Amino acid sequence: MDPISHTAVASSNAQDLAWVVLLFPLISAASIPLGVGRSRALTHAMAIGAVATGFVLSVSLFLLFGFTKGGIHATPLPWLSVGGLKLQIGLTVDTLSTLMLMVVTGISTLVHVFSTRYMDGDRDYPRYFASLGLFTFSMLGIVLSDNLVQTFIFWELVGVTSYLLVGFWHEKPSAADAAKKAFLTNRIGDFGFILGIILVWSAAGTVQFTDLAAKFHTDPRLLGGLTSLAGVLIFLGAMGKSAQVPLHVWLPDAMEGPTPVSALIHAATMVAAGVYMLCRVFFLLDLPAAWPGFLATLGGPSALGIIAWVGGITSLLAGLIAIQQNDIKRILAYSTLSQLGYMVMAVGCAGPDAAMFHLTTHACFKALLFLGAGSVIAGCHHEQDIWQMGGLWKRMPTTSICFAIGTAALCGLPIVTSGFYSKDAIFASALAADRPVLFAVGVLVAGLTTLYMARLYLVAFLGEPRSESAGHAHESGTPMTLPLVILALPSVTLGWLPIGSFLKEMSFGGGHPHYPDSITDILFDPFNHSPLGAVLGLGLIVFGGFVAVSLYWNATVDPLPKTLGWVSTALRSRLFFDAIFDRVVVPIHDAIAALFGLIDRWLLQGLVVRGGSGAVDLVGRGLRLVQTGNIQTYGFLFVIGVAVLVILALK
Amino acid sequence: MSPVTLLILLPFVGILAILLTPSKYAFAWRLWAQLFSGLAALASLFVFFGFHPGAAGYQMVQRLEWNSELGLAFHVGVDGLNVGLLLATALVGFAAVWVSDEIEKYTKLFYVLLLTMIGGALGAFASLDLFFVYFFNEFALLPTFLMIGIWGRGDQKNFATFQITLYLSLGALVALVGLVCLYALSGANTLDVLVLGAWLKEHPLPAGLQTLIFGLLLFGFGTLVGLFPFHSWAPLGYGVAPTATAMMHAGILKKVGLFVLLRGAFPLLPLGVQNWTGVLAVLCLGNLLYCGWVAMRQKDLNLLLGNSSLAHMGFVFLALASTTVIGITGAVLVMVAHAFLAALEFALSGYLYRRTGTLEMLMLGGAFRQMPFIGAALIAALMAGCGVPGFANFAGELTVMFGVWSVMPWHVVIAAWGGLVIGGIYMLRAIRKVAHGEVGKVLEGKPDVVGLARVPYVVLLLALVFFGVAPGVLVDRIRPSAERVVSLATAGASKTGAAGHASVLNPTSAPAH
Amino acid sequence: MTPGIHHYLVVSALLFSLGLFGVLARRNLIVIYMSLELMLNAANLTLVAFSRFNENLNGQVMVFFIITVAAAEVAVGLALIVALYRKRRTADVDDLTSLRF
Repeated sequence: MDPISHTAVASSNAQDLAWVVLLFPLISAASIPLGVGRSRALTHAMAIGAVATGFVLSVSLFLLFGFTKGGIHATPLPWLSVGGLKLQIGLTVDTLSTLMLMVVTGISTLVHVFSTRYMDGDRDYPRYFASLGLFTFSMLGIVLSDNLVQTFIFWELVGVTSYLLVGFWHEKPSAADAAKKAFLTNRIGDFGFILGIILVWSAAGTVQFTDLAAKFHTDPRLLGGLTSLAGVLIFLGAMGKSAQVPLHVWLPDAMEGPTPVSALIHAATMVAAGVYMLCRVFFLLDLPAAWPGFLATLGGPSALGIIAWVGGITSLLAGLIAIQQNDIKRILAYSTLSQLGYMVMAVGCAGPDAAMFHLTTHACFKALLFLGAGSVIAGCHHEQDIWQMGGLWKRMPTTSICFAIGTAALCGLPIVTSGFYSKDAIFASALAADRPVLFAVGVLVAGLTTLYMARLYLVAFLGEPRSESAGHAHESGTPMTLPLVILALPSVTLGWLPIGSFLKEMSFGGGHPHYPDSITDILFDPFNHSPLGAVLGLGLIVFGGFVAVSLYWNATVDPLPKTLGWVSTALRSRLFFDAIFDRVVVPIHDAIAALFGLIDRWLLQGLVVRGGSGAVDLVGRGLRLVQTGNIQTYGFLFVIGVAVLVILALK
Repeated sequence: MSPVTLLILLPFVGILAILLTPSKYAFAWRLWAQLFSGLAALASLFVFFGFHPGAAGYQMVQRLEWNSELGLAFHVGVDGLNVGLLLATALVGFAAVWVSDEIEKYTKLFYVLLLTMIGGALGAFASLDLFFVYFFNEFALLPTFLMIGIWGRGDQKNFATFQITLYLSLGALVALVGLVCLYALSGANTLDVLVLGAWLKEHPLPAGLQTLIFGLLLFGFGTLVGLFPFHSWAPLGYGVAPTATAMMHAGILKKVGLFVLLRGAFPLLPLGVQNWTGVLAVLCLGNLLYCGWVAMRQKDLNLLLGNSSLAHMGFVFLALASTTVIGITGAVLVMVAHAFLAALEFALSGYLYRRTGTLEMLMLGGAFRQMPFIGAALIAALMAGCGVPGFANFAGELTVMFGVWSVMPWHVVIAAWGGLVIGGIYMLRAIRKVAHGEVGKVLEGKPDVVGLARVPYVVLLLALVFFGVAPGVLVDRIRPSAERVVSLATAGASKTGAAGHASVLNPTSAPAH
Repeated sequence: MTPGIHHYLVVSALLFSLGLFGVLARRNLIVIYMSLELMLNAANLTLVAFSRFNENLNGQVMVFFIITVAAAEVAVGLALIVALYRKRRTADVDDLTSLRF
């Protein structure tokens, strides 16, 4: 009956727990509009219960199956099957997916808890939790997916649900516009993604990851001249979701959504989905370069090369732009962009293990930072401009300490933060891939990161209050501070776990995984393993921190716009990317639409239809003149006609 | 009696009941219509789930000789091509009757006409004799003109009625000429697809004739569907039509044209198929891109929806042009999905119009706040319209793209751009303007639908979601029929010398546009 | 000289032409109606003449039918004209234009 299950299903069915993890958030989300939503307490109890159960089960799944090479598949459900197209909804339970599962459900749980206070008093409280649940469900679908089409399905669903969340305050025009922009920008990426999927399917005849991996392992030239094109098309999907230049424009705008949503979507999950997907299909990207036709004669770069460069450029540009932003959430948004650029660059440098490592640590400390920002915004009565804050450390001690830990982790402070280890893994992979320029970019961005994060912290938390609302700031309640504290813990410690090496061994088939064996070895691993990256990174961090302190210590206005002039203006205008989209891409489509609208209105409906009816009308008007309506005239004409006929007949 | 015959008869019994009810009991007219359309919906569910998936050939067949001299017989049956469409027709008809409480004058006539449409459409889909398909289709089409003329709305009513009548009558006329040619020239003395199919297998028509007849059928029925460039009647027609008419026409009647092509033209005229698919492949781009761009331009919600529905038809035409099993399966899937979607969209816009008296998108706004149910349903419908997974349209369009790729990759690129990006742009703009934002003046204080009045919207949404989550249910039913259609439509490819001619218009040789 | 068939026919033709002229040229409905009757009777005359000369009674039978129908027609037609006159105070065809576009 089930012709499309290619996957071995083991006799033990513990892996089917993955279905529970996947479906619980959906069930809770569906139950809210069906009645549960009438009670606020019931709403969040249900929502938190679903994701928390998911987290517990994810940890169990990781412990059960995370240490099995190649993983295991839960019982799939057939979805659609016709001809050579066999699609199913199946779940992969392996190291990669269970690790990501823990990240998503863990952070989702904390965001849910945080939201109970942050969104308290919103009239659409039930809708908020329903949307969060739907989003978590979609995200888990990507994580667990065992084939490309399923990934695409949940990919789109993530787009939709994030649309609902970003546009949660839909009456606010800016929020509604931001949601629309996010969705449409992602759509451009999805356009490439689906074409890439179809391309791969048409060559390999399957969309199952395991089958594809096997096929491409035996025949790397399966796609012929389209190999690199397929890789780039699939990467286009990741560019949309993971907000790579030039499809990054939606992410900063998406900060219009509620802050916990930004923590969930724009730090830990949705934007990470692109990177995760690239890691999942890494075997497709890692094929030898081959281009069709004239592109081949130009000696086109490999798909990985393009990915690496896009990632590097994204991380650099976003890091630069972040220096001159004043909205606390926008700074974090650009820093997310920059870090995502790192991860994509790592994938491009053949280091998916490093990318996943950084994804995991980044998810923790960026969620911490966003939730911290949420706490600050709530404490300062919805003030988001850092220049209107200041001196918050006195009034919001817990938030300030946790935010400081997050900042340190993002900057990659050595030894005591997780960001140091994962970032160093990326530098190492850039060096290993023999891409010195990208390595330099990466190290430079590390300095930029320290600069803008130190600026943020110095201006917002230290110094004196610069506004009424900052002066009356107050610490947030336990539901908001508790998630911060919980997240601060892995932000410090996660780097000590050899996640990268473990993934390399389990999922990416690395030959010689490298596990440190003593405590000092663990702590100083980067200095032994890739000393150049570690030392240079450290140097740039110190330099960036120094610059930030000299510029912003007790500053009341930003000195940079004066000193930098037009550079600062350009950075403030986000390097004009949005302007280009607004003034070039959108108008082109609108112009075509206007032209065709005119054609439809005037040529088809006007000339053809109205013209057709007009011609008939005109003939009618002409013929009407002959009709006098005088019966005697008709009679006279009739007689003449008869006479003529008679004469003709008699002739 | 076959359940299919019963299904067709139910709406007509309803008409009889309404006609026999005197105006003293005027309230009963609507109740009769609801009852019999509801019974038809149940019967269609019975047919759909009683249909044995995976089996080739026709099921639940009934044949009544009507005029043996002319070779005409009332011959009904279901296979993969029509089983989903019958279900869609009955459910949409049920919903259309339910939302028609907006009609205030001549209610008796309205329900009689509406049930005629439903019965006619059911008959057209179920018939295996092309004469009856045509006959029932005209039966269903005629009420359209009357309904737009009598209950239509807006300033452009007369022009729209005129335009839709002109186009559809001309299209139907051309199609009729095609059918008559097929009847007269085949020598089989019948239009029964089973008999005619067997006959044409033994005595195939010459390539020239096949091409001629196929062309007549393609453009005749294509016009009924809104094939570019014969499409401009559709958006305006839907814009002025009363809600139920727009639902039935955009959702159901439009599919009859496509259905006849799949039922008659493709399997019977393989050489015609090969000579015309190239043209069709070009024209479908008009639907996919041109109509999408035109939709972007619209300021009126109904005009936007009308143009987007044309864009969706582009996917079906694209699949027809590809003539692949996966593509045709996807095409039928899109047809069924779009039946539900179009009906839902027009039902929602009809409700908005009824409450506000306008569909000008700039004046609406904030519908989601003011009418949470209608707003949410509208967002869901528009999302389904731009190909969001979880709704049936996504499954259909995805299948079409997969199916067409092997034959016309560049078309798939354009279809993906049209469906994902352009479709996304206009649908999201519509959501932004109508559902999001501040509550518009015209919407202030206007009530949401409550209680049982939600039934039609819920039914249509559930159908969309059901086939979106489990498209396999439908695909398993379609697949054998799609395989049959494709094997017949591509049968003559190697047998005759038409290959040289075909290569001129061969879809594979015309990819770049 | 006994009158031959052609004499009858000439008289009939003259009568018919007079009637035709009356129908085409006159403006009064009553006169037009009388002229119409004149044409009818011209036809009757021809039928009777042919019947007499061909020794076949069919023509005369036909004439009886025509006279009967004409009588009924006159009754209806004149009634209509009288009714019209009462309503419009005129029987001039040029004044009766309400059915024109």
